[in-house]
Order: sequence, then structure tokens, then C-alpha cells
Amino acid sequence: MLAERILPRPRLPAGILFGATVLVGMIVLAFVGPWVSPYAYDQMDIVARLKPPSADHWAGTDEYGRDVLTRTLLGTRTSLFIGFGATLVSLVLGVTFGLIAGYRRGLTGEVIMRLMDVMMAFPPLILVLMIVALTEPTPTKSALVVGLLFVPGIARVTRSITLDLSLKEFVLAARARGESQRYILMRELLPNALPVIIVEGSLNITFAMLLAAVLSFLGFGVQPPASDWGLMISQARRFIIPAPWIAITPGLFMCLTVVAISILGDSLRKHLDPRSRSFVG
Amino acid sequence: MSGELLRVEGLKAGYGRGAGFVPVVSDINFAIGEGEALGLVGESGSGKSTIASAVLDLFPAGLSLHSGHIAYRGQDMAHLSPVARRQMLGVEIGAVFQDPMTSLNPAFRVGEQIAEPLVVHLGLSREAARKRAVELLADVEIVDPETVARSFPHQLSGGMRQRALIAAALACDPKLLVLDEPTTALDAQVEARLIELFNKLRRERGLSYLFISHSLKLIAQTCDRVVVLYAGQMVETGGSADLLARPTHPYSRALLDAVPNLDHAGSYRLQPIPGGRPDLANPPEGCRFAPRCAFARAECRTPQNLRSLGDREIRCCRAEQLELRPSTVQSPVPRNPITEEVVLAGEGLEKSYAQGTLLSNLRVGKGGVRVEKPRFHAVRGVDTGIRKGEILGLVGQSGSGKSSVGRMLMGLDTPTGGTVRFEGHDIAAMTGPGLAEYRRRVQMIFQNPDSSLNPRMTIREIVARPLVLFDIVPQAEVRAEVDRLLDQVKLPRSFANRYPHQLSGGEKQRVGIARALASRPDVLLCDEPVSALDVSVQAAIVTLIEDLRAETGLSFLFISHDLAVVAQLCDRVAVMFRGEIVELGDTRQIIDRPQHPYTRGLIAAARGGAGAAGTATGRDPLVVVK
Repeated sequence: MLAERILPRPRLPAGILFGATVLVGMIVLAFVGPWVSPYAYDQMDIVARLKPPSADHWAGTDEYGRDVLTRTLLGTRTSLFIGFGATLVSLVLGVTFGLIAGYRRGLTGEVIMRLMDVMMAFPPLILVLMIVALTEPTPTKSALVVGLLFVPGIARVTRSITLDLSLKEFVLAARARGESQRYILMRELLPNALPVIIVEGSLNITFAMLLAAVLSFLGFGVQPPASDWGLMISQARRFIIPAPWIAITPGLFMCLTVVAISILGDSLRKHLDPRSRSFVG
Repeated sequence: MSGELLRVEGLKAGYGRGAGFVPVVSDINFAIGEGEALGLVGESGSGKSTIASAVLDLFPAGLSLHSGHIAYRGQDMAHLSPVARRQMLGVEIGAVFQDPMTSLNPAFRVGEQIAEPLVVHLGLSREAARKRAVELLADVEIVDPETVARSFPHQLSGGMRQRALIAAALACDPKLLVLDEPTTALDAQVEARLIELFNKLRRERGLSYLFISHSLKLIAQTCDRVVVLYAGQMVETGGSADLLARPTHPYSRALLDAVPNLDHAGSYRLQPIPGGRPDLANPPEGCRFAPRCAFARAECRTPQNLRSLGDREIRCCRAEQLELRPSTVQSPVPRNPITEEVVLAGEGLEKSYAQGTLLSNLRVGKGGVRVEKPRFHAVRGVDTGIRKGEILGLVGQSGSGKSSVGRMLMGLDTPTGGTVRFEGHDIAAMTGPGLAEYRRRVQMIFQNPDSSLNPRMTIREIVARPLVLFDIVPQAEVRAEVDRLLDQVKLPRSFANRYPHQLSGGEKQRVGIARALASRPDVLLCDEPVSALDVSVQAAIVTLIEDLRAETGLSFLFISHDLAVVAQLCDRVAVMFRGEIVELGDTRQIIDRPQHPYTRGLIAAARGGAGAAGTATGRDPLVVVK
């Protein structure tokens, strides 16, 4: 408590500004970039295969002579879509399950958590393959499937913090007032569980993008010649020595996105905590 | 040489560094002689634990020594190498901390933990150390030391664990024990027995103590001399029994007047200390207590030094002018007429819990496999009724089932037997509007101010919620009603826009009371509402409850382990022991003529145990003239 008074947190959440700027910039580039670029994402050029970065190809070309930068920018769309989409799915389901399981111990909680255990025990790839192999792979489906994989993790984290929170006296006070379960979950428990959920969620965005890359690599995600960072990186594996730029460009984009999301998540968590605000009313 | 053991000189410690340094304690000077016990007394934020951590070289993260010297047997500890310092601290100085639940490692047997320092510091063999550990446990009066040595911490009661910790502290035969609130987490009777043990150990082993406590009374029972701390400064020192009987500094005096006294309880009002503790980053100029002091004059605004006055040292320029006299006019505690009409009643309440798991309850014998179903009975057949307009006290030690009774009356727990009746109606049969009306009319005040308010809501949102939920006032008047409620609990209206973390413990507890009052209830169930608070704040909450009763005619159930507070506040008292009410009656009668042996034990413990400091307990309430 004392330490807070001495080291007041900066009022301007610079982290939020930085993270949001990078992400918005990324999205703008994703849509404007391929349109401005003189190359189409699937335009092959056998003569200009594996060319290093130059004035013509800012990030060089790949093994088919396609422009790496154009493909990377296009890949931004799918990567971000899958990252955010999957996280959204996992948060909506996982947080709901976790809150309910944590607040209502007993049979309800037990049933939910055992269901989560079953999901966790299932080898993720088999689950994904099962769902994806039966139907046509699309980015939406990838996002959904990857999101489902993260549900048990989010549910566990949410549940453990809810277990602790629901013993707090302010929750008892709400129960003593006869508040509805919905009010207790949404107003008393969720806001207090949010910091942990945000951190967990922002980590998951990154993992989701990586997992989507694995799916693409196995042929169940984004279908070539369409592109996605993960797909590009995994395909560039073979040329990592002679033409490292093919992997480095999407890698840099991914790296920047991950850093931006982490910073955004962390500063969001701090910003949402009333304890970090130094005003006294 | 007079046999001086520990000397602390010009100690200054705090947070931050450079220009941002905030002293938590400053200008601390004291010495402890061989065989002497010195008490440090003060409320939270006074810096007493910081001094202990300085002596033990165990500063928590962020806290650091700024300047000053700590010398053991004339040797400055700062001049020792870290290894030599560890060795000296390990062997010469033992420590016992407040929380017996966390001070022992749950993964190791108690005996091993006591033996550990013997192996590390004294180089004993494992076997010899184990034998010694058992002897030590016997020394701290543990009945079956062999068994206890083989037990894990969770198998022992709080009092036993604290004894085990004392045994561990004594392991290397130290000369000095640092005791940081060693009995605060324990029940009054356990505390009384530990105090006896401390005194015996000191006599027999010639130990010295640095005894830290928030209670002057406790210090008087254990220590020769006492240092009273306020906001990181020493404000008064003197002989402990003498200081308890005749405090000179206005703060020492205020601290004593804030504590309820079992024998005079209810005949006078407690004197809370107005205001809150100062901001250490920006302390008041001059006397730090002046802003809260009833006797402050202009000269108190100049810096004050600790000076000698008779056999005392005191940091108050008006000490000579202030004079103590026994109180002549005692403002009586306001009481309401109480009817026989029972508002909220428990009839034959029982609460039991299933114990163990299916696997641990499985028994395989001659008769085949069967599953035992052991149950723990927390409450066994409690009949109690809160009468209209009264404050009914419910006392008992931890685990006696008193909180369970409160929660069942509140409808938070379902009894496994018996009924809760509100104005004659069984609450288990209530539904819809009837249940909502019961919820509105019966409210609860909780123990822990830190967890009873949602940290993500402003005070306004917290207090307004019952108003909205029960539709107490029209939407447009909610704001004004919150202001009125804050007035009622004597909080500034501007607090409405704050978050709980911006409030002190006492202020948070007032918000909790405002929230409970918002729905205009008839009954307030208070579960240890003052136990987590400093004594001066505790007095303020007790007087607030007295005022509320006088103003509103509310009925209260007041659950507490502190008999003196209950005696101060309650009209009738129910004494709980092992899940049953063993005695119920008029407060004065129970205090003066207890019938049940358990009640007698409780009262003896509250009076100060085995008479360790006989003169200390019969103190008259004091007021100051001039």
C-alpha cells in the first residue's frame, strides 16, 4: 500500500496506446497492402525465384518467385482473424464454464470440469483432424476448432480464481441480499477475475496463431496458394539457409504482433484495476 | 558491564530510495539487557514489525535500512559478514511470528523442523537433533512430545503449533527471542496459557524478549519495560505496569481508553481516537499525533523530541501540564427498551458436514466392505432468539460454531436440522416476495474489511446496490440516499467516488455498515465486525453500533470472540462451546456470576489469565482534566 503511494503508476497508459497502434496499423496494412502492391499474392515468377530483398521485392521472393511482402500482408488477415477469433471463442465458452463451475461447486461444477477434463485428455490434433477432415477447411473453422481447444485451459484458470473469489465476504453479502446468480457472476465475480483472464487470453492469441500454422502445415488450415504467417514460415523451412528472408518477414510480423498483444493485455489489466489509478475523489 | 544484549541506535528504515525515501520508522533507540523483556506496542502502521525485521535482518521486499546501528553484545551487526550474521541470528536470536498457520512448513514433520537449526547451526547429528527436538517440545509444555514431533503441522491446533514454533526458536538456546504478535491469532484462553509459558521460560532460562504487540495489557503481563510507537516514532517509554496504570502521552492514554474493560463494560462509552493515522510520506509537522490529539496546542506543531520525564521518556511538550484523574462523569451507554418479542430465532439448529472421502471412509473387515459416513458436527441443537431492539452477543472460541449459527440465521447456510424463524415464519418455506422481504430486513456485517467490499466497485456503487435491488428509494433519489447513509456512518460524502483500496480498515467497515443499513433492515447480524481492526478503530465502530441502535431501534446479533467487547455492547450474551450454547443470559449477570466452567475460563482469560499482572487489569477508565 505504501509502495503504491510512492511509485504512482503513469496516468497515460502508454502500453495501451502502443499495443493498439501496432494492431490497428497491422490490420490497415493487411487490407491496404495487398491492394497497393504491384504483385498479386499468387503471382509466380520463375525467373525471380528466391531473390533477396531488393527495390523490386522489398522482402524478397519465395521459391515460386512470389513477393514475400505481399503474401505476408495478406497472411496478416488470416493470422489475426484466427488468433482473435479463436481467443474470442475460448473466452466466451471458457469464462462462462469457469465462472459457473467455480461459483457452484457441487454437482454442476463437477460435471463441467469433468467435461473439460475429457476435452483436455483428447489429443488436440486428433480432435482437430476429426472435425476438419470431415468437412472443407476454412479459416472460420480453424478459428472455431482452435478456440475450442483452449476452452478447458481458460475454464480452469477462471474456475480457480472464482473458487477463491466466491469465498470473499462481498460475494457472501451479495448472496445475503438475495442477488441473482447472474448478477453475482457478472458484476461481483467477473470484474475481479478479469485481470487474470485478460493475461491468459492475450497469451492465447499468440498460441492460437501458432496452432493455426500447424493446421495449415498439415493441410487442414489455410489452403495454398492463400497465405498465413504460420503457413509461410513452415513452408520456408526448407530454404532457411539459402533464403532466410522468406521466413524472417512473416516471423517479424508475428513477433511484433505478439509483443504488441502482450503489452496491450498487460497494460489493459493494470488500467482496469482501480488500485492502479492514483486519483483520490 | 551491565550485560547489555541488544542495542538499537538511531534506526531509520523505510521504502524507496534517494529523494523518494519514505521512512516507516525513524529515530528508534532502545536497549535490552540480559534477562530483560522489552515490549513494543502500537497500532498497525506504527512500525513495530519493521523494527523486528530490522533486528532479525529480515526486511520484506521494498523495505530497507536507511541508517542506524543494531548491535548485539556490543558488536555492530552491519560489520559482520553475511555468513557470520546468519550464524549469529540463527544461534543467538530466536523469533516467533504471528501466524502459526504459515510459520511452519506444511510438508515437514514438526520434529524435523525443530531439529533443522540444530543440525545446521550446531552441527548435531540427525539422531541427536531429533532427540533434542522432543526435549524442546516437552520444555514448551506439550503433553505428548514424541507424538507431536512425528506430526505434520496441519494435525496440530493453533496453540500447539505456536508452542512448536517457540520450541523451534529455542532450539539453539538463544539469549534473545523476538516475539512478533505471537498470540494475536489465538483464542483468549490459549493466549493466557502462552503468556504463562513465556514468563516461565524467561525465568528459567534467563531469556530476553523483544515482545511486539498491539495490546498494552499483554505487554504489561510479559515485559519489564515498554516502548509506545506511533507513526514510526517512539512516543513514550517506561515501566510497563506503571505505564499501563498511568499513561502520560496523550496517545498512550487514548490507546487505553479505547479498549473495553470487562469490569466496567457498558457503564461508560469507549473513547475512539478521532481521525486516521498520518501519511508517512508526508507526516504532520511537529507532533505526529497532534492532528488527532484532544489536547493539541499551537506549540505541538513544532518538532518534538523524546525527552526524559521522571523515569519515563516522552515525546510530548505538554506532558507536565496534562494530568490524569479518575473519571467522575461517565457518559452511560445509550440503551433502548427491549421487548420480549423475538424477531429472528433459531430453533434446534444443527449443522454437520460429511468428513473424509469415499476412499478414506472405506472399511474392509470380516463383514465385508462397508462405507463409514463420519460427520463433523459444527452446531448441535442451538436455540436462540434475537429480541426486538436488543444486541445479543454470541461468544466462543474459534471452532465453537458461532459463525455457523450466524450464517444459518442469515440464510447463507442451510441447517442440517432445526428451523430459522423470522417473525415466526420458517425461512426455508419462504419464496418469492416473502423471501426477498426477509433478505431486505435481515442484513449482515462482515469481519474482514478487506474482503467485504468488491474492489472493482466505487463506494457509491456498493452502497447504492441494495437501494436499487430492493427499490428502497426512487432512482432519482439514490444519490441523495447514499449521501445520507454515509452521513449516518460518519463518513465524508466525498468518499462515495473512491474505491475500497483508498480507504482504511475502519472506513471500509463503515461502508460495510452503510451497505447493510441501506435496505432499512430490522436485524443486523454482525460476524466479528471489529476483530480485524486496530483498538482505536474498534472503539469507533463499537460506539457507532451503539449510536445506530439508539437511533434506529435495530436488533443485533453480535458474534465475537472478544468478551470485553461483547460485554461493552450487548444486552444479553450466549456463550457457545463445541457447537452448543452452554450459557445464555443477561450480560452483567454472566460476567459477574458465570455458571458454566467454560464461561468462567473465558472470563478469567479476558481478565488477564493467571494474574500475571494483577494490578494491570483493574484499571479505572481515565479521563483527562484541563
